[in-house]
Amino acid sequence: MEVKINAEGGKTLVELTGRIDTTNADQFQKDIAPLMQGDNPDIEMDCSGMDYTSSQGLRLFLMLQKSVGSRKGKLVLKNMKPQVREVFDITGFSNIITIL
Amino acid sequence: MNLDLHCEMILDEYREMRPMFMHMKDVVSAEMGRIMKENNMYVTAMEGRVKTEKSLTGKLELKGHKYATLSDITDIFGYRIITFYTDEVDKIAALVEKNFDVDWENSVDKRKLLDLDRFGYMSLHYICRLPERLCDSPEMHEYRFEVQMRTALQHVWATIYHDLGYKSDIEIPRETLRNMHRIAGMMELADSMFSRIRMEITDYRRRVQSLVADGDFDHVPLDGDTFRSYLELKPFDKLATKIATINQAEIYRDNLMPYLKLLLKLEFKSLGDIERLIHNYSTDAYQLALHQISGTDLDIMALSVTLQNLCCVYVLRNGLGMTGLEHIFNALGGNPQANHMRAERLFNQAQQINII
Repeated sequence: MEVKINAEGGKTLVELTGRIDTTNADQFQKDIAPLMQGDNPDIEMDCSGMDYTSSQGLRLFLMLQKSVGSRKGKLVLKNMKPQVREVFDITGFSNIITIL
Repeated sequence: MNLDLHCEMILDEYREMRPMFMHMKDVVSAEMGRIMKENNMYVTAMEGRVKTEKSLTGKLELKGHKYATLSDITDIFGYRIITFYTDEVDKIAALVEKNFDVDWENSVDKRKLLDLDRFGYMSLHYICRLPERLCDSPEMHEYRFEVQMRTALQHVWATIYHDLGYKSDIEIPRETLRNMHRIAGMMELADSMFSRIRMEITDYRRRVQSLVADGDFDHVPLDGDTFRSYLELKPFDKLATKIATINQAEIYRDNLMPYLKLLLKLEFKSLGDIERLIHNYSTDAYQLALHQISGTDLDIMALSVTLQNLCCVYVLRNGLGMTGLEHIFNALGGNPQANHMRAERLFNQAQQINII
């Protein structure tokens, strides 16, 4: 799993590549830790390179969403592959997190 | 302006005491803020002012002979509380009585002064003293201040009336004055209607809550208030627990209120319609979830999966097909292209488990 974080204007742009599963969820949590704080709570995640997310990944997205919400920001996930989108759909997470 | 010696003395006293009145303003403002917060009172505005020297001079010119000393003038410092509704004026008055020393002899309820067939200035004026616990000098207790309490509409009328009439150098024509008083009558009626509307809404909410609590769902129309009350009964928990058991999943309790728009779009009219949705389609909704997640290791799900699946199964069982599914997903938001693919996928899954 690779996480690239860039600030652009008032937004934080994040590129996600690979899989989030039991083997790397801890690392993913560390990688996105900077997004849980700071004055730039509007986050746009490009998920076009993401191949899969497990429940651990969903929990971390939820944690990030709550953190962003508490700072009056917005988390948006974009360009999700169909198989990843399906995970969000069948767990109801696409009702919680904005997916474009 | 020419003031006589007596009035000049009062004015001198005012100049000397002005800093005390400014301090009194801060103390009263803080105390009023505390009282309102502690009693959960929400008002339109609260404001205090210390009379300017110019304004006091004008008052002394007109009726200076009435006052022996500055302490006889009770509105050097004035505080105003403007409420939304008429009954709140009385509630706030009770709080002022409890927290300040009211000089009853000089307090006036202008609402009761008007004859039955007259309309005009309606406001409650209390002349108060600070209680000793809030005073840090004897003068702070000695000098009185005025608290005006009125509704927003009464305030609008009084402000315009004051601006047009009281401060004007010319005499207001009789017809204009009559028009102002006609407006006062309309404002009084509007105030009374607003209070009545608020009471009706409160009654409606109580009635609905009672019907929901009694399970009389067919008599409860579906709207924001009723749906919120209904959700407090946790109507989807049974299905959620059943679905969660498939993978021993944790249930994340997300907000189901966004589904109201969708349910109304599906022409659900009462809470009874939702009860029937749960009763008639829970088995299919569970089968759909079983088909979707049983082969995965996903052990977290949102509570909204229940309502999502119920709505999907409902449109499929009622022959609305893939278009119906797309409408559901579009009503909930998201990208229409992704929603189309999602509808297609779900339609195929439903075919595999014979829901269609």
